Amino acid sequence: MATPENNMMKMAAGVVAAGMMAGRSYGAGSEVLKVALLGCGGRGNGAVRNCLEADPSVQVVAVADLFENKAKGTREGLMKDEKYKGRINIPEESVYWGFECYKKIAKVDCDLVIMATAPAFRGRQLMEAIKAGKNVFTEKPVATDVAGCLEVMEAAKLAKEKKLAIVCGTQRRHEPHRVELMKKIHDGVIGELVGGQCYWFGDGIWYRTPEKGMSELEWQVHNWYHWTWLSGDQICEQHIHNIDVMNWCFDGPPKNFLALGGRCCRDYSEQAKAACAFFNNGKTDGWEKYNGNIWDHITAEFEYANGARVLSFSGHGPGTGRGDEKIVGTKGTSNCQDTCVDYKGAQIYKYEDKAQRIDPMVLEHRDLIASIRKGEPLNEGQRIAESTLTAIGARISAYTGQSFSWNALLKMKQNLVPTDDQLKAGPGIFPPIAKGVDKLF
Amino acid sequence: MVKKLELTRRDLLKTSAMVAGALTMTSAAGFAFGEVQGSDTIRVGVIGCGGRGSGAATDCVASSKGVEIVALADAFQDRVNGLKGKYKVPDNRCFVGLDAYKQLLALSDVNLVILATPPGFRPIHFAAAVEAGKNVFTEKPVAVCPAGIKMFKEAAEKAQAKKLAVVAGTQRRHEPRYIETMKRIHDGAIGEIVSAQCYWNQGGLWNADRSDKMTDIEWQLRNWLYFTWLSGDHIVEQHVHNLDVINWAMGSLPDVVQALGGRQFRTDPKYGHIFDHFGTEFIYPNDVRTISMCRQIEGASDRVSERVVGTKGVSDCCGTITGENPWTFDDKGTPVNPYVQEHADLIESIRKGEPLNEGVRVADSTQCAIMARESAYTMVQFKRSWFENKCTLNLLPAADLKMDTPKPVPPVAVPGKYELPGLPKRG
Repeated sequence: MATPENNMMKMAAGVVAAGMMAGRSYGAGSEVLKVALLGCGGRGNGAVRNCLEADPSVQVVAVADLFENKAKGTREGLMKDEKYKGRINIPEESVYWGFECYKKIAKVDCDLVIMATAPAFRGRQLMEAIKAGKNVFTEKPVATDVAGCLEVMEAAKLAKEKKLAIVCGTQRRHEPHRVELMKKIHDGVIGELVGGQCYWFGDGIWYRTPEKGMSELEWQVHNWYHWTWLSGDQICEQHIHNIDVMNWCFDGPPKNFLALGGRCCRDYSEQAKAACAFFNNGKTDGWEKYNGNIWDHITAEFEYANGARVLSFSGHGPGTGRGDEKIVGTKGTSNCQDTCVDYKGAQIYKYEDKAQRIDPMVLEHRDLIASIRKGEPLNEGQRIAESTLTAIGARISAYTGQSFSWNALLKMKQNLVPTDDQLKAGPGIFPPIAKGVDKLF
Repeated sequence: MVKKLELTRRDLLKTSAMVAGALTMTSAAGFAFGEVQGSDTIRVGVIGCGGRGSGAATDCVASSKGVEIVALADAFQDRVNGLKGKYKVPDNRCFVGLDAYKQLLALSDVNLVILATPPGFRPIHFAAAVEAGKNVFTEKPVAVCPAGIKMFKEAAEKAQAKKLAVVAGTQRRHEPRYIETMKRIHDGAIGEIVSAQCYWNQGGLWNADRSDKMTDIEWQLRNWLYFTWLSGDHIVEQHVHNLDVINWAMGSLPDVVQALGGRQFRTDPKYGHIFDHFGTEFIYPNDVRTISMCRQIEGASDRVSERVVGTKGVSDCCGTITGENPWTFDDKGTPVNPYVQEHADLIESIRKGEPLNEGVRVADSTQCAIMARESAYTMVQFKRSWFENKCTLNLLPAADLKMDTPKPVPPVAVPGKYELPGLPKRG
């Protein structure tokens, strides 16, 4: 850990000395990188710690969450952590909560906002932060619908103009072994890419029961994974990592989508009944909607620009877990990690670690911070919007039973997420489970 | 028994040779060897007189000279009636009921049977037909469970020993555009195959209402598509065509399968308990992975095709190769009807004394589809070797099955709850 860190500091010092013009306080030579955290759930708490690990100059100055207790709890947790002593400087008045806390976070005096709320709201959050001149680390995915992806693309353009960084939590893009491997693949070491597979199939996920004082809508956001409008469904929320690797291999999103799937065994009936009773004076009639509306399996085919067709397998269930990628070329194949083999079985490329592998979740923050320092801010906004939209495209294809092109997808008027005006403590939003022939937009 | 049947076949050969010289003379005057009546006439018994059986009978008669439909069997009188008039089959050669196939197979003059009942019965009917020394045209699929596959394969081997012909209704194998494409693929036109896809995505299919007087069995038989014990589920019943093409192109069978599927749209109980979609990955030797998709959802987009990808090109398997060795099939203005051609090939092979035997091949492809179905029902990935040796699923109808035997509809398979015999429980 020490060596690369020192190297980076040295490099950063050099860059700072060379006189940075762009960016805000940090790039201008400040010693401290002020970070605000938006979204204090598991991933937010993880991401902020990854960021603190990434660079000693990071200080956390504000936190926000939909829920007061989570925002306050995160502040306390960080302050209590000996590891980060002196680096958590969050005044009580810099703790925000409520549906519109993202607007307050954008106004905080900071260099970087870490976004880790439910994916549904990322577009507006990102736009707000970029408009306010903040660099952003955003968790994936960055939207749950077409409109959200388009908004992120817009924000990415604006960030480019304003020379702000957007780095996204698709950490595979920051792993040196994958980065080097992709260079080889793009150089043609396995020939033309003619096929591929990617998988994320695993066990089910948590189901969060309502807590005292929560309205139905607030609880839904708390238990966000289970609704397509909030999580984008599992293909978007989780499998995007692998889909992003495929897009990376082909250097762009697919041109055509064909997918099918359904919900055959995702069952949270006990918890759903309890949630129903919680919001309905103990009654469990109509509990089914509390079970969520995401599916549990999707098989998708992505057809890329050169006609190559790639299989995607995603879901949650009791079966055999999968979670990797494979790319197939005319001269060989690769595991998309560090190795290429030809069709005689001979290894034709292998990445050799020059140093100990660093946690990629930390590495992505290092790359982000280094890019800000260099005045060459990384901007992954368009790319992550495309990968998110790739996953959403597959989901729409599966939900509707239709096959369509990327261009058609870009034109779909799909907007699942309520506006800020509609987002208030109150009744939940419970669209039905898709039947596989839902109407296209 | 066996000896007599051998005679039957040889008689056919002899007469066939004679006729070959004199062109076809459909003579009713007997070359009465053994129990064979009539020259080299192909005397066909149809077992299963529904839509597919009727179609196969028409195609069989149209395929070659000297073919007669001489006996009919079906579970239902109305189905038999449908063909009886058309082919002027006398009453005493029309058999009705679940055992009707036995009566038909006992007719010694019948030298070819068309097996077109619901596939769940196929292994039993096929084994009985081979036992009775009949040449067989069998509709696909040929089984719905591992026990059925085993029974079918054993009978296919027995047919081989008895020199009986077995041709299956995977008609792509008899279609020139496929045959010519496959020759080129196997000659290396697209290089080494490294990927493949196949699809049978379509809308819904027919359904017969249940009347008050229908027993469980009658209702299920008349709606056989929707019950796994009868159809094998739609991946077996329909998609087997495409899976068979990929096996053909590969020249091998997949080692590993994993599938995801469900019943998302077609949920009305009148559609039994089968799924309406499957997405499957088959992994062939050398880690060549393929995509298979099949769907029966009304209103969803259609795609029925195959595609193989090699190191030197790509082919649709049916007339087009692109890449280093581009090629397009030319039917020279005379397209072949593959549904007729398969019968022509079958009958020619019988007459030539070089009986085709597609039994093991079609059983292998059927098994691929069954494996995928069971993988989707469980969400578990498994190896073919496991499936062949350890899976004890047996959906074969009981020997004493009667029209009034109670037969509750099995629940829709739910991964985690569905139990696949032979598969260790999770955890």
